[in-house]
Amino acid sequence: MNAQVDTPPETAVLEIPPETVKLSIRDLDFFYGGKQALFGVNVSFAANAVTALIGPSGCGKSTLLRTLNRMYSLYPGQKATGQVLLDGEDILGSRVNVAALRARIGMVFQKPTPFPMSIFDNVAYGVRLYEKMSKPDLANRVEESLRRAALWDEVKDKLKDSGLSLSGGQQQRLCVARGIAVKPEILLLDEPASALDPISTARLEETIAALKTEYTVVIVTHNMGQAARLSDHTGFMYLGQLVEFGETEQLFTNPVTTRARDYITGRFG
Amino acid sequence: MTADASVLIAADAPRSARGTGLDRAFEILCFTAATFLLAALGGLIVSLMIGGWPAFAHFGIGFFFSAEWDPVKEIYGAAGAVTGTLVTATLALIFALPLALGVAIFLVELCPSRLRRPIGTAVELLAGIPSIVYGMWGLFVFAPWFSKHVQMPIMMSAEPGTLWETLTTGVPNGSGILSASLILAVMILPFMAATLRELFLTIPPQVRESAYGLGSTTFEVIDKVSLPYIRTGAIGAVMLGLGRALGETMAVTFIIGNSHGFPTSMFASGSTIASTIANEFAEATGVLHTSSLIALGLVLFVITFIVLALARVLIGKQANL
Amino acid sequence: MTAFAPQRLSRTIAEGAFLAFCWVAAAVALLALTAIMWSLVSQGIGGFFKPDGSGLDLNIFTMSTPAPGSEGGLLNAIMGSLMMCAAAMLGAVFVGVLAGTWLSEFARDSRYGKIVRFLNDVLLSAPSILVGLFVYEILVAPLKGFSGFAGAVALGLIAAPVITRTTEDVLRLQPTALREASVALGAPVWRTILAVIWKSAQGGMLTGALLAFARISGETAPLLFTALNNQFLSLDMTKPTANLPVVIFNFALSAYDDWRRLAWAGALLIAATVLTVTIIARLLAQEPRRS
Repeated sequence: MNAQVDTPPETAVLEIPPETVKLSIRDLDFFYGGKQALFGVNVSFAANAVTALIGPSGCGKSTLLRTLNRMYSLYPGQKATGQVLLDGEDILGSRVNVAALRARIGMVFQKPTPFPMSIFDNVAYGVRLYEKMSKPDLANRVEESLRRAALWDEVKDKLKDSGLSLSGGQQQRLCVARGIAVKPEILLLDEPASALDPISTARLEETIAALKTEYTVVIVTHNMGQAARLSDHTGFMYLGQLVEFGETEQLFTNPVTTRARDYITGRFG
Repeated sequence: MTADASVLIAADAPRSARGTGLDRAFEILCFTAATFLLAALGGLIVSLMIGGWPAFAHFGIGFFFSAEWDPVKEIYGAAGAVTGTLVTATLALIFALPLALGVAIFLVELCPSRLRRPIGTAVELLAGIPSIVYGMWGLFVFAPWFSKHVQMPIMMSAEPGTLWETLTTGVPNGSGILSASLILAVMILPFMAATLRELFLTIPPQVRESAYGLGSTTFEVIDKVSLPYIRTGAIGAVMLGLGRALGETMAVTFIIGNSHGFPTSMFASGSTIASTIANEFAEATGVLHTSSLIALGLVLFVITFIVLALARVLIGKQANL
Repeated sequence: MTAFAPQRLSRTIAEGAFLAFCWVAAAVALLALTAIMWSLVSQGIGGFFKPDGSGLDLNIFTMSTPAPGSEGGLLNAIMGSLMMCAAAMLGAVFVGVLAGTWLSEFARDSRYGKIVRFLNDVLLSAPSILVGLFVYEILVAPLKGFSGFAGAVALGLIAAPVITRTTEDVLRLQPTALREASVALGAPVWRTILAVIWKSAQGGMLTGALLAFARISGETAPLLFTALNNQFLSLDMTKPTANLPVVIFNFALSAYDDWRRLAWAGALLIAATVLTVTIIARLLAQEPRRS
């Protein structure tokens, strides 16, 4: 075999500087029953940055996201092996208090999921789980969260209205507000704009961009433009593997692997 | 980092939601409720077995084959009531099924669209009318009319000595096996029609439309496409209707005539298991009488269980009704 | 060759006969059901007016069941039915909601869940008179007495499977994302179910409870030898308790015209209640199955 220097590598994963690492994934395999969905994922996500995960449908990007807050442990038969280190501590262990974990890692879903209660109660729901607060304190927290989610001005006069009465884009920002109200360290976003119209999407993107000063954000998206606009790092996944991970600009303009290049230039996916 | 210092592992971690420990208790509470239902059904079966045991022990296998039911002589046999139950329920099904299918097809295919919803809703509402109403109507309205306009003419015209004459002997008071079957049929009709209509509505419109698109007539669409499409579910619905007819008490008790023994003709009075229990249980004298009635109940349970189990298996395959 | 080939004669005949049959079947069925409703209303309405037709007669609601030939109403039966149904619903909602929640949220695919689901369906469709026999065996016979309490237990056992079934069905319709969204905030499962899932499904669950109530309010057979009957107004549920269905049954089969009149009035009262409750239940349900 005559390995040439310029043969593109199969995979290329950038190691980010250790002092910036918030979340570190080591040799992660994931199984839906007997079916393996993730194969040996190794990657680290930086604190106070937005990391995007892209790839064709079924590539495992949502699965990876759902591993990070152990959403899968709701379902018997789904299991993850390997390590996911949050500030150096493995969250996959059986003794981990998943409720405490999820308080530190918030999540926003593909479709808006407002609870059947008032706008105020939606945001206060998570807060009330953890803290006994005086009424004014709680109101402050709700307002602060809604402001940060860029929803406050639109709902401040109707906090008692049902969360279901909002438009789709507003509902999604309500879910962001609900997620950040419990003051998590990491925010996971699973295709948060896929059910929204372009204008709502733009507003949601502004919101997300503003969040990274305080949170570590991981966003799954099928919209490459969105990944390029929002993120600092991007990971490209294919068939359950993390094929390439690097600086967003570098990955989109000059991908190292053939598969990432084909996907980004639109040859498949 | 040691496990004990972990903010993730400690059960009383500062950021752990309050009340996480109650999850297990809540699940156990729900589990207990579900198990309670299971226990209720189990208890029902066991209590029928225990209660019926003296009768089974006393009469042995003959209990099932004797039609003699005589509280004075303390002789009890199930055959008459079992036959009455099976005959009335089967006849009711034979009467009701074509009508229910007709109504369902009418509502789905033929009815002017403005009337579709009101009539469909009315049929569903009628399925919820308590059976005692059907029983009263049978006794006070249907029986006199039936006696005058159906029974009498038929009995008068039947030639002596023929099978027809045998089949139509009885007291022309409007009650009896056939009347009870007809009332049962009217009672299960709305239920079956409503269920069949639901099933027809589960057929994707494209399937019907493509059949019509090929130039099929309504009959051909129903016969070749719609009915095969819902077949297993429809059989299940019919079985559920049969189950209702088998266990129905009040609609029958009013009008079957309540006499023991084998029914010998369409117009003869008879009894079903449910009507016998309803009539005699509260006033049952002696252990053997009570026990025989409970034994009858166990027989009814076994019959309906078989029918319902078949129905659920079939319906479960088709749709979640 | 014409563009429109004539339909074969046999097809035309089959189609005609079929359509005619459907029309006739619908007509016969609707006629029979209309006849029943008509009898019920025309015979029953008399009980609510004075015999000479001179005005409303509220004796039905103010007086207890009479001796033959004397004035009376159905007050004791109405009160007894209300008490027993209320007590039955209290227990049935408790058991049914929790059991339905277990089937939907904890045991969706488990083997034991499948068994419970199936046997609940059996209990749901079991002849109601057998439930009466069961309660007689476990409560009436050992305690040596008929009681309103026993009647309530029998009715509760009939209502609980209905509520279990509808609760499971509506909870299953709730989106998975809603559960996950609450759990993702770190909420415990019980809280997720109480505050989010039940809240989101409350309309459907209420519908199920109302349908169960409609079902038991007309049940006669299971009361015949549990609650029995009582001539007098009594609020003591440890004693035999009057109830509408059994009073109707006894009075309808009696030889007295005024008793029969009360029976019809009672039947109308029950049917109207059942219809009203069913209609409310249907209005509450959003009919998720239809588009």
